[in-house]
Amino acid sequence: MESEIFSDFQLDALREIGNVGAGNAATALSQMVGRRIDMSVTKVLVLPTDAIAGFLGGLEQNVAAVHMPIYGEVCGISLVFFPMGRISELCGMLVGKEEKDPFCLSELGQSAIKELGSILTGAYLSALFRFVHIQMIHGVPGLALDMAQAVLDTVLVELEQKEEVAIVIETEFLENEKQITGSFFLLPEAGSLKKLFTAFSKSLGLPGNG
Amino acid sequence: MADDNWIVGIAEYKATQSPNRLTAYGLGSCVGIVLYDQYTKVGGLAHIMLPSSRFYSQVALPGKFADTAIDALLTEMKNLGCRRERLFSKIVGGANMFSLISQSAVPIGLRNVAAVREELKKREIPILAEQVGGTSGRTVIFDLVSGRVEIRKLNQSTEWV
Repeated sequence: MESEIFSDFQLDALREIGNVGAGNAATALSQMVGRRIDMSVTKVLVLPTDAIAGFLGGLEQNVAAVHMPIYGEVCGISLVFFPMGRISELCGMLVGKEEKDPFCLSELGQSAIKELGSILTGAYLSALFRFVHIQMIHGVPGLALDMAQAVLDTVLVELEQKEEVAIVIETEFLENEKQITGSFFLLPEAGSLKKLFTAFSKSLGLPGNG
Repeated sequence: MADDNWIVGIAEYKATQSPNRLTAYGLGSCVGIVLYDQYTKVGGLAHIMLPSSRFYSQVALPGKFADTAIDALLTEMKNLGCRRERLFSKIVGGANMFSLISQSAVPIGLRNVAAVREELKKREIPILAEQVGGTSGRTVIFDLVSGRVEIRKLNQSTEWV
């Protein structure tokens, strides 16, 4: 399912970017909650949008999704997905209070999930900038608790594309024995993926021009 | 003919007849347009993304826009023997899922809904039922035996229109 245009070599570079980003995000998060939380990158891949719901567990899979517009040299949308079943615990990890019903999250719980999405996205974008020198910043996060496919449906409408390709960095959060997985998706708008790919090739010293 | 479930993906449209079903999973700000002729039991479902093809010089995918999708669907349904003047429609979707981030005054989901209403009116196809707007995604299952439409939302009871 790997994209034809990203070579193994480039995916390795992406993994390295992910590791740096996860390290920085863990530092920021630990400071925010006042306890040590570790993060590690478990998977890096490039997926076409029609395979994303499958990756998340199915078209109607319940997910919590943090959405952010991406501006800069490459524009697009970032999504951070968390499994719905772990949202209560995640709130516990972040604000010290588990939520009873993930469908009626408190203001505090919602803010915490959005903040986590924001920290993760910010860390990955700045790591990307360090490696490939493409500047991207993210806008205000929005949160939806819904079916995986409905989230993608909405994002594709925003991008005005039927099919897109997403760069995926799956991240694991660890506190003591507790592990929670979150997946970061970067969906560049039409034309932007090529820009990103060219920048990747250039910084890796490859002749490829996308 | 087996009772088949036909899946209508984003920017697609499909027409078939009873006893098949037509399903669009996870409509977010997209709109599902159901058209049905209850005499021939021919029906169609379009899963549109954007209000109008007007601002695009080339339309590679007619299913993407409200106007072109309805026309394309009408052609397919006509080929299956339905009569235009007997058609009615039901529309579902057009949610604004990340309520914080609408860039324009009217969110795209509602603009899609408004465009679909207008295009159906232009073609004199009555709208029998609507379940639109809100902040939740919807799965739509159109049963061509009865003409009824099942709407599933996450963590809410199933509705029929």
